[in-house]
Amino acid sequence: MKPLERYWFGDVALARPYLVLRFVLGLLAFDTWLNMMPHGSKYGVGAFNVAHFPWFDTFVPSSAFYLGVLAFTGVLALSQALYRPHRIAIVLIAAGYTLGWSCSLLDSVPYHYLLSLYLLCFVFFPMLSARAAFSRSDRAPRGSVAAYVLFCVTTAIMYFYVAAWSAAEGQSYWLPMACCVAYLIASMQDRAELPALRMAAPLLAAAPVAFHLLAPQQGWLPIYMIGIALVVFAPTQWLHSFGRTLTRPARRLVEERSEGGIDERASQVFYLSLLGLVVAPMVSMFVDMPGVKTGCTLTAIAMLFVMGRQLYFTPRWRPLWRVASLFGGCLALWITVTASNARFDYYHEGAVDADRRGDDDAAMMFREKADRYAP
Amino acid sequence: MLIAAFVALQFLIPLTYLTREDAADERFTWRSLDPPAAPSCETSASLERFDGQSEAISVEKLIHQDWVDYVGQGRRAVVDAFLRKQCEAEGVMQVELVNRCDGERGTRAYNLRCGGERAHETVRTATR
Repeated sequence: MKPLERYWFGDVALARPYLVLRFVLGLLAFDTWLNMMPHGSKYGVGAFNVAHFPWFDTFVPSSAFYLGVLAFTGVLALSQALYRPHRIAIVLIAAGYTLGWSCSLLDSVPYHYLLSLYLLCFVFFPMLSARAAFSRSDRAPRGSVAAYVLFCVTTAIMYFYVAAWSAAEGQSYWLPMACCVAYLIASMQDRAELPALRMAAPLLAAAPVAFHLLAPQQGWLPIYMIGIALVVFAPTQWLHSFGRTLTRPARRLVEERSEGGIDERASQVFYLSLLGLVVAPMVSMFVDMPGVKTGCTLTAIAMLFVMGRQLYFTPRWRPLWRVASLFGGCLALWITVTASNARFDYYHEGAVDADRRGDDDAAMMFREKADRYAP
Repeated sequence: MLIAAFVALQFLIPLTYLTREDAADERFTWRSLDPPAAPSCETSASLERFDGQSEAISVEKLIHQDWVDYVGQGRRAVVDAFLRKQCEAEGVMQVELVNRCDGERGTRAYNLRCGGERAHETVRTATR
């Protein structure tokens, strides 16, 4: 193997891609609901819009469209974080999330672009089950995951440019440059032939953690990046133990069910799954924000598409777990929106802007809802 | 091959900043993870009809405040789109938008003759 091939295709502990994928998807769900949805009322005002890319320019997204896309993306992302992800679902999440921010310059948060790049990498991640990533033995499973190395390189490129622009402006650049170097070498730490790097890699986590604690940043970027750094740089054994503890209930449940065994296709699984797919999006009726019902319904349709033949031909409980994860996503959306100020902020922002524009009807509608959901 | 293309693209996209006409457009460049506060500008707009009549446009009444801020910062894509949108009304010959800013940007006027794609930018005064 040539050195470059060794770099991209060498072994990594499978716990890393497993945990990174789920961490980012889980956080992304709450990020879209808590940080993006409250600004949805900006969309469609005055039928004016400028998109990030010229091919979108003729399209004016309404707030219902924007919220629908975010609800779809968030629920699907959380459902994939909760249960074994499916590649088609990751493609849909990447498409939905990218559509969400790229349809308008109103969302110009720099890290949303980074998350789209991450999601693109995730499409090529191995769709690991907990059992595959965390074996029963104490030995952490390893394998070649080029997409995970690409994920690390993507992160390194981001830090490289932060450092380069800082240097160009005469500012301190050593910390982001240290982050860049750290990510470039971190993906090699699990290789048997590099024991010294395995010892040193965890120390490198200090660079990104310090950078994201010290540098001013927008939104939840520090949470994403510190979480990712902890997974990427943690010693393999720690990560393996952590992952095993985290996934123990799920693994036990799956194992018990497998042993109990529905070895042939049980019709009740099929009907229960279908019923679940119909009922889960109904939870969104209680959210009371435009577009969310449509978004959740589309998520159920996407889930049906993802399950495909599995729904009918898999002689196990897997379809039910998928539907349960969809339920989890819809419930989490409802609880998040009702327990936070997201819904109030959405209506309040809408009322303030409609007032400013002298749109009394819209202002009254927004204010009525804002009063209803005031904290 | 796919990996190389993806990595190359990520390296090249931030470099496009160096060729961008609009220095305020820092998207996809990693120039800042926390966008700096935009200069405060006072924006006014007017349109001229074919019959020679001039009319003031109240920018704040037409679009969301975030777009008003973009227009005030002189983001070319938004300014051009806004002016083109005003041209969609009947009988409009040309539209002008003026940004009076406190900082180094001074006063900038953007003039679009309807039917055109891009507004002509004029720096009227600049405080140094």
